Amino acid sequence: MFTEYIFHFLSILSLFSAVMVLASKKPIHSVLFLTLAFFAIAGHYVLLNAQFLAVVHVIVYAGAIMVLFLFTVMLLNLNKDEQSQKPMWVKIMAVIAGGMLMLTLIGILRKYDIQSVQDPMTTQIGLVKNLGKILYNDYFVPFELSSVLFLTAMVGAVLLGKKEQI
Amino acid sequence: MTTLQSIPIQYYLVFCSLLFSIGVVGVLIKRNALVILMSIELMINSINLLLAAFSAYTNDPAGQIFVFFIMVVAAAEVAIGLAIVVLIYRTTHTIDINVLNKLRW
Amino acid sequence: MLIMRHELLLIAITVILLIVEIFLPNTQKHKIILPAILLMAAVTVIGFFPGTPGVLFGGMFQSTQLTMMFKNILNIGVLIVFIQSVDWLKQDQNKEKISEFFLLMLATLIGMNYMISSGDFLMFYIGLELATIPVAALAAFERLKEKSAEAGVKLIFSSALSSGILLYGLSMIYGTTGTMYFADVAPLITGVPLQVLAFIFFFAGMAFKISLVPFHLWTADVYEGAPVNVTSYLSVISKGAAVFIFTIILYTVFSKIAVMWSDLIYVVTILTITVGNLFALRQQNLKRFLAFSSIAQAGFILLGVIGQSQLGMTTVIYFVLVYIFSNLGAFGVVGIISNRTGKENINDYDGLYRTNPNLSLVMMLALFSLAGIPPLAGFFGKFFLFTAAAKQGYYILVLIALINTIISLYYYLLVIKAMLLNNSDHPIAKIRSDNYTRLGLLICVAGMVIIGFTSSIYEMVFNLSFGLY
Repeated sequence: MFTEYIFHFLSILSLFSAVMVLASKKPIHSVLFLTLAFFAIAGHYVLLNAQFLAVVHVIVYAGAIMVLFLFTVMLLNLNKDEQSQKPMWVKIMAVIAGGMLMLTLIGILRKYDIQSVQDPMTTQIGLVKNLGKILYNDYFVPFELSSVLFLTAMVGAVLLGKKEQI
Repeated sequence: MTTLQSIPIQYYLVFCSLLFSIGVVGVLIKRNALVILMSIELMINSINLLLAAFSAYTNDPAGQIFVFFIMVVAAAEVAIGLAIVVLIYRTTHTIDINVLNKLRW
Repeated sequence: MLIMRHELLLIAITVILLIVEIFLPNTQKHKIILPAILLMAAVTVIGFFPGTPGVLFGGMFQSTQLTMMFKNILNIGVLIVFIQSVDWLKQDQNKEKISEFFLLMLATLIGMNYMISSGDFLMFYIGLELATIPVAALAAFERLKEKSAEAGVKLIFSSALSSGILLYGLSMIYGTTGTMYFADVAPLITGVPLQVLAFIFFFAGMAFKISLVPFHLWTADVYEGAPVNVTSYLSVISKGAAVFIFTIILYTVFSKIAVMWSDLIYVVTILTITVGNLFALRQQNLKRFLAFSSIAQAGFILLGVIGQSQLGMTTVIYFVLVYIFSNLGAFGVVGIISNRTGKENINDYDGLYRTNPNLSLVMMLALFSLAGIPPLAGFFGKFFLFTAAAKQGYYILVLIALINTIISLYYYLLVIKAMLLNNSDHPIAKIRSDNYTRLGLLICVAGMVIIGFTSSIYEMVFNLSFGLY
């Protein structure tokens, strides 16, 4: 029962912060709520015994991506209210569309039944040792390819961020 | 032994659908380019959690590896995306996507 | 090693260019152009040597004669784009960024090559992202222009959103089958509701990348705002690679639910061709015009995909090959005129034939080929596509496509009329193009004419293709 309580707590926390990301008027509040949501999701990973993912998630998302967002907000001095909002009917339509999508997804996923249920609390696959072995054996090519991706992302970001010298 | 009871996988499925839908709604209703990017991150996070849950319940590591790579790609995507947002800010001094109408039908 | 030679060679030349660029002083960056083009040409030539098909890393990477051939096609296309970009890159505002242009282009090509050869959804996803993320940086290449930055932001947002949707589909496929390998997933696709929804998400994600209606909204804006050479790259190479892997995945992984996806594609094809054509009619800007025309062309490509047979895949690849030469020819002309004069509207082209007969001749051939006028390759490409769909019994679809071909003929002819017949008081002045541009356009014209007349290319593609049956 105890894990179930934790699950509900984390779910409600992350859903609440996700909604607050959209409801906040100031970008900086959105960023902070998003960080909170990410920490709650990291908690979910721990519940699934995916320790490696939990650590990587905190490092990559909370550590790298959110810092990037924060830097952008601070550097551009965007910490003011949004001047303009989309018209109300657009928002209502968007929420209805999102609700329909959610209902469809839930309706279909509810019927989903898994073949071989493994208790996630006892599974060992999420440990660094096991994932590392698989990562460097079966998934070696994508791993190397992602380094090319990072190289190009770096080149691209420098290209875009460089000051014009002409 | 403790009476640890595992959570039904349906809980994760419903939770991830909710999070994904919130992300989609965010992309549709917001006008701030940064917040749109954040909503996309929310969507990607819900996918990550879904994959990790499938992976843990079927005891198959491929899903968790996939999550790892999605995180890698998301970081690269955000780096380029934010660089372009900064670029937009430098030329127009706003990141409201409604200003982006130099290109019209 | 030999199995992965296309990719390894590309990575090698990327690294070489990266090291060369470090040692070049800021004022000498243009010296990288010639080595980059020569290296790319060398890779293209080496790619044509017969290679050994095979599977690497436990099915993660698979190379067949078909993928090797398609990689060669992409190499040729990128080589033409490189040659055509020289004139633009030598302009003052781009001089310092020349090497970045080549690096990002090569990186996307590497991504596409891995995407084409992938035997696993993970590999496919990483390749797809590597093929799209740097293009956003390229679209925002002319940083000082608002339009260019706007194109970049639109491209990165729509591609991030579409890959999110695609990933949701992939995660559901993983949830129902428990594996990511194409070969293992295929027998487990049974058409349960979750898999159907997964397919729809996957389809939507890919439709964004191929810019099919109703996921085309980003296309025109990005194509107009991005620099012409990046636009031509986006509309030809990116689209071609995405169409190819899309066809492969439909024919291998989702072969069991072919009845379902052919219905879906049926509707999307009609929408894409019609909307693309109708919007192309009212465009004044040539880049937007070509954007909508390329949406319509993507719809025509789907006619081959829906054919579901060996013939279907053959026609898709053949059409992409033809389309590369025709569209790059058209964009090459638009590019040189836009670079030299800044003019991009159709009525700016009035009387182009008087001042620049050669350019307008190339443009005319390219547009005829896109429209599908007989002696040129575009005619055979479209004709084969129609045959593939008709053989499957989609007569109404072929009829609608034929009507749309006539509409498209009208708007292509409008541009040709402006160039040849209209008179203008201020025609575009005579442009002295440099040798690179001439070479690029010459290759395109040669491709358009030769492919139309040599049936051996079609037979070669046919022998390598496969279908559902």
